[in-house]
Parts: sequence; structure tokens; C-alpha cells
Amino acid sequence: MIIIYFSCPATAQELYVATEPASNMATGSIGLRLNSKLFHMQHNNRYSLRIDPEIMFGLSKKVMLHVNAYGSDMYQSNVRFEGASVYGKYRFFSIDDVHSHLRMAAFGKISFINNPAQMQVGNKYFTSDEVDLDGNNSGYYTGIVVTQLLHKLAISSSVYYLERFDNLNESKIPGQSLQAMNYTLSAGYLFLPTVYKDFRQTNVNLYCEFLASTALDKKKYYVDAAPAVQFIFNSISRLDFSYRWQLSGNIERLSENYFFLRFEYNLLNVFKNR
Amino acid sequence: MKTRLIKSSLLFLIIFFPSLTHAQLEKAEFQASGLTCSLCSNAINKALKTIPFIEAVNTDLNKNIFQITFKKNVIIDIDLIKKKVEDAGFSIAKFWIIENLHDLKIENDQHALIDGTYFHFMHVKSQTLNGENRLQIIDKDFVAAKEFKKYSAYTSMPCYQTGMMSDCCKSHGSRVSPARIYHVTI
Repeated sequence: MIIIYFSCPATAQELYVATEPASNMATGSIGLRLNSKLFHMQHNNRYSLRIDPEIMFGLSKKVMLHVNAYGSDMYQSNVRFEGASVYGKYRFFSIDDVHSHLRMAAFGKISFINNPAQMQVGNKYFTSDEVDLDGNNSGYYTGIVVTQLLHKLAISSSVYYLERFDNLNESKIPGQSLQAMNYTLSAGYLFLPTVYKDFRQTNVNLYCEFLASTALDKKKYYVDAAPAVQFIFNSISRLDFSYRWQLSGNIERLSENYFFLRFEYNLLNVFKNR
Repeated sequence: MKTRLIKSSLLFLIIFFPSLTHAQLEKAEFQASGLTCSLCSNAINKALKTIPFIEAVNTDLNKNIFQITFKKNVIIDIDLIKKKVEDAGFSIAKFWIIENLHDLKIENDQHALIDGTYFHFMHVKSQTLNGENRLQIIDKDFVAAKEFKKYSAYTSMPCYQTGMMSDCCKSHGSRVSPARIYHVTI
């Protein structure tokens, strides 16, 4: 069960930090992101850093594609390149009205990661049952997201299926959870400005997101909270900062909490559509 | 000789490209739907600025209203504006063109020719239009779906559903068929 610890007030945005909304980028635009995560590692009490640069392409009003590369020092003392992923989203439903919309999209991601299948600490080995396609495991996921924007409240929810492959260099560990269903619920709040004057005003948005996962082959789950603050500069770039932690769960994970920092810059009208 | 050449070139343009010439169309205004934030408005704003016949764009970020000033003596394509908004990821809620008119007689549910473009006036009283007039375009995807359905009841001509002239419009003389016709109300 998802337990909501605090309510998220109205006046919201749909530029979620931990998840993607059903909306798309503008056609012909490119988004550049630098994502970074600072994990607190459960088993050796150290912090590890993962960096993933991301390029996003708005191919049409319905289709967008993201490509990520990953690097971290999670499994060794130095930061090394871990692999890459491709994410695609197809918006199949959209009804727009003034200051509102209801949209639905299908999405999928495939990751190819070169990491150990287990975490070694001294002479102990720890296996994670969490399927994490953002740099830890090879695999894929596919699902649906629904976003409702109603005046200034935007709520989004997604459900998706994940499956782990063998990592590029190491096979799955026998007994490790291979499949999961993830669920997310997100809301956002436009804190500033109260009234728009021009494009150059910095926007401050507050988000709270809940991300849950249940393993399909074991009775394991987690529910995480990920509140975030977001700054939008000149209506063209954004800075996201978030802290995500486990609210409840019994799943074996390498980390139960991390800090997240992202910088994104958008290039509009880069390539022509037809 | 030269005047005849210009006149026949213009006539050629008006006959064969009836939806493209717009000598008196200086401004347009529209309200976009499906968005609240300024980053989204900026995507529309920047998309509009790639349109060659647009001189300037003024944006009301709170109401999502975009005021457009057109360049003079250029071919204007209203449908391209709608396409740019949709490609940016949004929709048009309302769209007005601001026309300078001279003694234009209009009748309800009838076509009128303004500067070489055909307009079908719907849900209006018979009147003569003069000076600056705001005409709201009520074609498909220029209004919300439920508005389009409401306006569909005000005409039995099939051109409202397609945006293109159909057989009932043959009385307008020689034309390349099918020609674009804009449905408007006041």
C-alpha cells in the first residue's frame, strides 16, 4: 500500500523529476541532461556516485527518444563506464483544454549494462533483488503513463513491467528476482512565480513522487518517496534536486536512499519535421 | 503592357492559390490549450518564430494567448500556425484573425471571398462589415472538439467537416479543386 505522508498542494507542473509525464517534448527539439546520483550504499556504508548524461529527441508530437550513458564507482573505487540505454515514449491519447489536459502514453526502455551481478564487500557477496535499469542491470521495461493537468494541479501515474537480462559480462544470480511491476504516483506544485510577467522569470516547482515496486517472482517490495525542488531558468533550462528514500519495503537492495541532481538544457527547433 | 502582366499574374495567383493571398490580414491571435508553464509557452513561442511570414509574437503567459503580427505582402498560411502549435505538443483553443474590411456583405451560412481567400460565415447575422474585425476561425482543431460539434449544427454544408470546398460551392467560378475554405464566426 502506498502511504502518503504529506499532501501536495495545487498549482502544479508536470515536469516530474523521478518519472516522465505522458506529454512529449516539442517536435524537432533536443534536450541535454546531466543526471547524477549520490547513493548511500547499504553494505559497506560508503557513498557512491553515478553520472548519466542523457540526450532526448522530440521526433514528432507523439514520439520521443532518450539515450543515456552510465558511469559510477558503485562496484569499485574509481568511476568507470557501465553501459547505455534507450528509452522511447509514444503519446497515444491527448485531450487539451485551456490550462488542462489528459494524456496517456506508452513507454519502454532497454538497458545494456556491464556490471557485476553482485556487490562484493570484503569476502561477502550481496545480491540485489531490485531491477534497476538506470545503470545497475541490463534488461527492459514497458508500461503506460497517464497525466492529468487541471488548471494548476498535475497528477501523473504510471505502471510498468520490468525484466532483468544477464549483464553484459556476468549472468544473473540463481534465485535473484528477475521480474517486477513498478507503480508511480506524482504531483507537482508551481511555487513561483505567482503571476507570470515574462519568459525570463525563474520558475520554482515543488514535486512529490512515490515510486513502488513489487517483485513478481518473490514476495518482495519497496515504496520510496522522492520529493524534489526544480528551478526553470529563462523558460529553457532546468535544475532538479531531489532526495529519494525507502518509506517501506522488504526487498534486498544495494541502496535505500540517494541524492539526485540534474541539469537540463533544451534546444528548440533543431531539426525539421518533414 | 506591364500593368496587364501584373494584373494577370495576380489573377493567376488568386484563381490558382485562393487560400494563400491575404493582403489585409495583419494580425491574428490565439489561445493555446493543454499547458500551464512558461517552458511550454516558450516551445510554442519559439516554434511560431520559425514561421517566415510572422513578423512578431507577443505572449500572455498567464492566459496562454499569443498575438501574432504578420509581415506585409507575404503569403500567409493559417494552417501552418496550427501545425506548429500541435508539433510543439499542444492544441488551439480559440483562434482569431483580425481583418481590415471594406463594405463586405456577409450572410449566415454563406461563403464570402476576402482578398482571394474563401470564408464561410456561420452563426452570424446578415450585415455589412467595415474596418477592423475579429473573425474567429471555427474549423476542426481551431476549437475544442466539443465546440466543433456544437458549431456543426449550424450548417449542413459538408465543407465544415473537411475544411475544403465541396460540390455545392461550384457557383464561385473557376477554381482549382479542392480549395481550402475557412469557417468563421463573429
